[in-house]
Amino acid sequence: MNVPTHAAASRNADRALSVHGVVVFLFLYVPILLLVVFSFSDASNLSVWGGWSLRWYRKMFTNDPLLRSMRNSVVVALVSTGISTVLGTAAALALERYRRWLGKRTFDALLYLPVIIPDVTMGVMLLMWFTTINWSLSLTTIILSHIAFNISFVAIVVRARLANLDPSLEEAAADLYADRWQAFRRVTLPLIMPGIVGGALLALTLSLDDVVITSLVQGPGSTTLPVFVFGLIKRQVTPEINAVSTVMLLASMVLVFGSLAFQREPRAGANPEAP
Amino acid sequence: MTVAVGLHAVTKRFGDVVAVDAVDLEIADGEFFSLLGPSGCGKTTTLRMIAGLEFPTEGSIRIFDEEVALAPPNKRPVNTVFQSYALFPHMTVAENVGFGLAMRKVPDAELRRRVGEAIELVRLGGMENRRPTQLSGGQQQRVALARALVNRPKVLLLDEPLGALDLKLRQAMQVELKDIQREVGITFVYVTHDQEEALTMSDRIGVMDAGRLLQVGTAEDIYERPANRFVADFIGETNFLDGVIVAEGHVEIGAAHTVRARTGAPVGTAVTLMLRPEKIQLHHPDEVVDGRNRLEGTVRHRLYFGDSLYYEIELKSGDTIDVRVENVPSLPRWDPGQRVAVSFHHDAADALTE
Repeated sequence: MNVPTHAAASRNADRALSVHGVVVFLFLYVPILLLVVFSFSDASNLSVWGGWSLRWYRKMFTNDPLLRSMRNSVVVALVSTGISTVLGTAAALALERYRRWLGKRTFDALLYLPVIIPDVTMGVMLLMWFTTINWSLSLTTIILSHIAFNISFVAIVVRARLANLDPSLEEAAADLYADRWQAFRRVTLPLIMPGIVGGALLALTLSLDDVVITSLVQGPGSTTLPVFVFGLIKRQVTPEINAVSTVMLLASMVLVFGSLAFQREPRAGANPEAP
Repeated sequence: MTVAVGLHAVTKRFGDVVAVDAVDLEIADGEFFSLLGPSGCGKTTTLRMIAGLEFPTEGSIRIFDEEVALAPPNKRPVNTVFQSYALFPHMTVAENVGFGLAMRKVPDAELRRRVGEAIELVRLGGMENRRPTQLSGGQQQRVALARALVNRPKVLLLDEPLGALDLKLRQAMQVELKDIQREVGITFVYVTHDQEEALTMSDRIGVMDAGRLLQVGTAEDIYERPANRFVADFIGETNFLDGVIVAEGHVEIGAAHTVRARTGAPVGTAVTLMLRPEKIQLHHPDEVVDGRNRLEGTVRHRLYFGDSLYYEIELKSGDTIDVRVENVPSLPRWDPGQRVAVSFHHDAADALTE
């Protein structure tokens, strides 16, 4: 008697949960879908649908200031990612592998700061710093700023990977006649590579998406794409913005999925029965 | 005797903790030597100092007369089989085994030949291109062994290599390890907390506790003539009875009995009498026992172990002792509450002063 009632309740709960799931997904993805759909609208106004067209994509690729900002974004993202990946990995190694050094705890805590503090604070801080040392704002200051916050993200991702690495692997390499560099190059580096690549892709995404910090430390002519789009909205809202946003969305998604795929460490041909 | 590994007053401190305390030890060339002790006794730290993975705070470590105490691990003629095996997960079996040779820039043809031989030695032929994750625990352990042996080290260090294997496999590997050691003729230094493993495999054993090396000797030395109470207690099962030397070779237990025992201690010394359960015999209380120590007591408990029976006997002195009796038809069974006589040869009773 108790059983059917319980089963019915559980069935109702299941139904309620699936409805809830659908609603959440609609809430998240309908605006994105609308944005993508309207990027293909022929109308000049976003409030009406003007039929399918690639007009705004064509316009986008002939808009020189927009293309310049896109190029700036790519340069900033690639350079800042490259440098912050090397420095972030080095920081992760220092924190995970060398147990005792002066100021390690402080450094550890400080490393997380750029992740925690609001972008606006970080941007104002950097702006004041560049002004104080009289460094004129340019693409270089944007790159330096992006390196400043990306180091933390790379270091956190690489550290997670290092923490799961058996320290006796490096000892085994040393025991088998590898010097410190060889042990790192042949054993540690290949094993933490998924973390490094994942961290780099995360850094790339963060750099490509950043508006707040970049808008504070940019100089004349050094605007990046997201900041440019932000400025565009203030003047006129046309489906061109949708087209640009769709391209950015696509790029971000590729990077995020790439990052996830790398961190999942696919063990090709692993035998699930082996302990 | 050529000394393969010589430790001289080796001490290792981690901050305030003394992990290894002034250890002196000489291990002979070709010997299978085990360091035995409970966890945290300093045996692994000692092994790691021989490997070069830790450096002693004080003292000297010599490998075939070469001082290596402060030399990095890659400059020592030793190789290690790690407890976790520490196989490189991103390399195949053959790449793992060939790693040491590749680091020493051994020519390709020779490298391939020696890797092949090592893989044959541990009977892993056909597994060359597998990854460690595709192997069972026992196979991983063989790869670890091959990876170390292929370099022809002067000394092979093994850190509880069988600890992760199940009982049957562990026993099979014990025999195999011993065979391999005989075949390659290399000095093995073997760390274990498993006394049975140490007793069956080793030429000599060093028993450690709290950073100190308590006794070094053959399995028989350590079992039959332990240097102190810790060693007696750690190896096998033992009865301990508190007593005092009352005459040369005579120990008084609890004012009720005086027995003959093996001792060189002077009269008046407080001692602990050590008596293995299997060296004691039970008799009917009226039976006369010649030439052996004889005590009287009452059976308190009987435990059935299949191949043997354990009796807990309460002696007249109030002490209780365990007696192990083979489960054979010719020996009588005793019931709880029954009065019995207990006898043992004076050579089987060691009076320990520590």
